[in-house]
Amino acid sequence: MALIKADTLPVALVPSPAVTRSDLIGQLRSSDAADRRAAVRGLAAFPDCAGVLYENLTVEQNNSVRSLIFVELINHKSSAVAGDLLCLLASEDANLRGGAIEALQEMPDEMAPHVEAMLVDPDSDVRIGVVAILAALRHPKVPNWLQGVIERDPHVNVCAAAIDALAEVGEPQSIPALAALARRFHDVAFVQFAVDAARRRILGR
Amino acid sequence: MTVQKNIRVKLMKMAELSQDAALSREDFAKFCEFFYRKTGILFEEKKKYFVDRRILDRINATDCAGFRDYFHKIRFEPDGKEMQRLVNQMTVNETYFFREDYQFKALVEGVLPEIAMRPSFDGPIRIWSVPCSTGEEPYSLAIYILEQWRDADRFDIQIQASDIDSAVLAEAEAGIYGPRSLQRLPPALVAKYFTRLDSERFRICPDLRRSIDFSQGNVVEPPFMKRFRGVDVIFCRNMLIYFDETSQRDTIEAFYDCLSPGGYICLGHSESMSRMSALFRPRKFGDVILYQKPSEKSR
Repeated sequence: MALIKADTLPVALVPSPAVTRSDLIGQLRSSDAADRRAAVRGLAAFPDCAGVLYENLTVEQNNSVRSLIFVELINHKSSAVAGDLLCLLASEDANLRGGAIEALQEMPDEMAPHVEAMLVDPDSDVRIGVVAILAALRHPKVPNWLQGVIERDPHVNVCAAAIDALAEVGEPQSIPALAALARRFHDVAFVQFAVDAARRRILGR
Repeated sequence: MTVQKNIRVKLMKMAELSQDAALSREDFAKFCEFFYRKTGILFEEKKKYFVDRRILDRINATDCAGFRDYFHKIRFEPDGKEMQRLVNQMTVNETYFFREDYQFKALVEGVLPEIAMRPSFDGPIRIWSVPCSTGEEPYSLAIYILEQWRDADRFDIQIQASDIDSAVLAEAEAGIYGPRSLQRLPPALVAKYFTRLDSERFRICPDLRRSIDFSQGNVVEPPFMKRFRGVDVIFCRNMLIYFDETSQRDTIEAFYDCLSPGGYICLGHSESMSRMSALFRPRKFGDVILYQKPSEKSR
């Protein structure tokens, strides 16, 4: 029969020598991505690891290591972590931006204190990123925040992103704000179309 | 008379609720888009009755006022528990021998030959079935490989099987099954690999029973996951769909470390890796998509 059973202790069960926090920080400079992933996992055991993980996120180029850092930052979520990750919305690196958006969607309570300030960021791309986070955020204030966007944001692309999100989470109370938005951007055909579709979704007919 | 009247009133109320709760086309579309984004399960219009019934059940069970109220609950509930319950309602959670065996076909026709041909391959081939439930999947893998892979005798193959539930693991190790579990197995294979105990029970042969490494543990616990390294193929079907996003990410990252370079993950037919991680490369074997860890040593 070709089937065999493992008859040796898996390598991973062999106790490894004690590794210090500074050893692990040094290991983050390894040229091997697997070593750096191991360092990230090791550092994640330290309660105050979020700062060093975030710093490495901004210099790390390998996607598998970045991905693990995002996961560990979610596991160590705090308002400070959310604040750090929000800085990545202005990054030129699409992978970092996308990773930050997905991570922030999983920390609603930590994200909430930052939302209103971020929604008036001078960079419209950052505001679009914040709306993308809201689109999947499990927080009861999401419909209000989105309604605020369509009432006040001057940029049509930010408003368009908010309409899409409101179509899913909006309540009938949002309909007048949508109608006002349609009037404000009366010459933008897409807005007319999106508002109409959102109204139907919200009313369920 | 009063009892009959009460029953009639109750039936009328249920009928009214049923009418009220039937989703409009817009609500159905909204729900389907949301459910697809969260689970990867897509319902077509012809499944509307199926969806309506289950949502109605959950609306009643949660005392929600209607669809809008219920949708708000599953969309915003912080712990996601009701969403998990709904997923349970919408999915069929049963296990039997040779379930979705087209994935086993992809394994023996595409994946195993590829692994065995690698210059760096020095054996054994390691396959991990998790969660293995009552054992139908790991035993099916063993039988399928022995029966369908012509090179099976040339390589050492190790099948590991894990589950969080010690009760189902005990059943797996006992290896006793009823006709429902065996319904998709050809009679010749039942005769070859099982011993009839009585009219309703069959026991898997001792060689197969002894060949599977069963272990109990939780995939979101790092000490347990560290036991698995150098795995070539992970069968993880219809488990991640029940996890929240954070647990899905944790588990996928842990699987990444468990796999050897170029190793594969096989998910359930309604599950998609792209919603959970961009680390893996989709690979098509016939109609089956498996997800491959990059094989090169990365910098």
